[in-house]
Amino acid sequence: MSDRGLRIAGLRAGVAGNEILKGIDLTVEPGKIHALMGPNGSGKSTLAFSLTGHPHYHVSAGTATLDGEDLLGLSPDKRARAGLFLSFQYPAAIPGVKVANFLRAARQAERPGDLTPAAFRTMLFEKMDLLGMDTAFAGRYLNDGFSGGEKKRLEMLQLAMLVPKYAILDETDSGLDVDALKDVGDAVASLRASDEGRDTGFLIITHYPRILQHIAPDVVHVMIDGRIATTGGAELAHRIERDGYDAIRAEFGALA
Amino acid sequence: MPESALADDTLATAAEAFGDLPIARAERRTALERFRSTASGRERPGRYWKLDADILAPSADRSHVAAGSVEIRNPDPRVVACDLLVAAEQHAARLAAVLGSTGVGTTKFGALATAFARLGALIYVPAGMAVAEPIEVRYVVTPGAAAYPTTLVWLEAGAHATVIERLDGGADAFVAATCELRVDAGAELTFAGVQRLAADATLVATRAAVPQRDATVIWSNADLGAALSSWETTVTLGARGADAQLATIFFPVGTQHVEAISSVDHAAGDATSETLVKSAAAGRGQARYLGNIRIAAHAQGTDASLRDDALLLSKNAHIDSVPALEIAANDVRAFHGATVGAIDDDEIFYMQSRGIERQAAERMIALGFFEPALARFPTEALRDELRSALAEKVG
Ligand SMILES: Nc1ncnc2c1ncn2[C@@H]1O[C@H](COP(=O)(O)OP(=O)(O)O)[C@@H](O)[C@H]1O
Ligand SMILES: [Mg+2]
Repeated sequence: MSDRGLRIAGLRAGVAGNEILKGIDLTVEPGKIHALMGPNGSGKSTLAFSLTGHPHYHVSAGTATLDGEDLLGLSPDKRARAGLFLSFQYPAAIPGVKVANFLRAARQAERPGDLTPAAFRTMLFEKMDLLGMDTAFAGRYLNDGFSGGEKKRLEMLQLAMLVPKYAILDETDSGLDVDALKDVGDAVASLRASDEGRDTGFLIITHYPRILQHIAPDVVHVMIDGRIATTGGAELAHRIERDGYDAIRAEFGALA
Repeated sequence: MPESALADDTLATAAEAFGDLPIARAERRTALERFRSTASGRERPGRYWKLDADILAPSADRSHVAAGSVEIRNPDPRVVACDLLVAAEQHAARLAAVLGSTGVGTTKFGALATAFARLGALIYVPAGMAVAEPIEVRYVVTPGAAAYPTTLVWLEAGAHATVIERLDGGADAFVAATCELRVDAGAELTFAGVQRLAADATLVATRAAVPQRDATVIWSNADLGAALSSWETTVTLGARGADAQLATIFFPVGTQHVEAISSVDHAAGDATSETLVKSAAAGRGQARYLGNIRIAAHAQGTDASLRDDALLLSKNAHIDSVPALEIAANDVRAFHGATVGAIDDDEIFYMQSRGIERQAAERMIALGFFEPALARFPTEALRDELRSALAEKVG
């Protein structure tokens, strides 16, 4: 199908009355890994929240479709059920709601009745094991008192349990030590190696290129001041590592 | 209506009719006098303190003796757990040792309940005895009645026990309940109160605990029923090493109204207390909570905390939370934290981003909100019962 993909066209969006995204065109094809890089404040999270429907963010122009289905008219839960996933840069803590119960509710919402409770538990413990998480984790309250690394592992656990069609990872790498970073890379790799996850398309938002050593991107976009300043291959990430964003800004900023 | 309009004669006649057990008529008269002459402490003006002695006094047609029933489940024959009348006949000395031991009877509504004392339970656990299974007391208030359930618990030194008290029934009833918990040195009492009176009942509850040296009281209350529920819970830590862990849940919905006061008095040093309040309101539900922590000048080494979170689930719901810390000692640790507000947008969005519908997300978050307080209640069966009751209220 020609309309497959997470397709963003002419997207303008903002928060609290400020326009942040000034026309974004970007398509993530099924099974492909796109990296979205850019300095702090360039609008990467704004793009993630506009696509997933955060109530504080407002889209003023443009379109976003998921395999042909319009996303922007849907409530956030419907966007998720359409197959969109966001790994949060700062996941919310929800005291009193246990990780296992939350994941069960989420899986049930996205794929009603596809797993018996026993099959769900088996899958959960298998994925937790893969991420090096202790089983006790399942009984803890959602992100409540979690360390930064634990929060990001939980986001990856959700990715593994929900197997979305398109996953946006918003700075899942930030603040992680080398081991945790490797676990994130492994989580993405194992999803892509599975039958159900081989077609998942990724938009990996990152400030630093180091995560891309674990997850090799097919395409790299650089966002500056709410615009995609340039798009290229993996070599673009290396260039940013070497020269920094200022070089990109100097070359493309004026155009953007 | 002036307070004299209480129909003194009617009240006095009604009290006389309760007879000489478990307390003598003369004591009933004295208690009634105290009820009349004592201020409730809530007379100060303000739109939330609805409690008004005039509207709460039992009218003549309500004052009948059989105002409700009590069911007692005692898992251990070594423990005394009996009806107050049986206690008066068979355990008079023990009854006397706990009735009036916590000061409940000196309060206005404690005095009223004393004047009409009859429905109630005495629980006595001898020194050093540990009772594993919970002892259960359940009151069912007669519709339209005025009822005065009195729960008296005495744990002798070193005893361990769990008591679950339930307050049910009471359509259109007036209930003045009291509870006295005497916990002797080194004893540990876990006490859970579950109030699920009918939606049009009126409740005034006065409860107090006095843990002695190195004694612990783990006291949880779930206040769920009644149109107006007005209660005051007081713990007096009068000896070193005493420890109180209070957890409270209340949740007015519809037009329910809650007036709650919890007080922890650190009257001796080196005692610890932890107060946790989780309240929610929906519909036009209203609540006012006053959390007192008082640390006396000589109570050095006190460690006291008060955590109070209120969740507003509709725009017409209202919860007023007033912490009041009076600290006269200097070498103490005292913590106080409070929040009040609606469910956070980011929490709802986080759940929605996982495919969960907004309403389901709100429900999970609201129910989760109570969990830290629920965790303090004894037995998984009771916690599950409370979870279902709360789920019904969330709607
Ligand atoms: N809630 C908010 N209110 C006002 N401005 C915001 C808000 N969130 C983000 N911004 C602004 O939007 C711009 C883009 O932010 P963001 O999308 O978070 O950037 P990035 O993720 O690339 O670091 C920044 O200038 C930031 O200050
Ligand atoms: Mg960001």
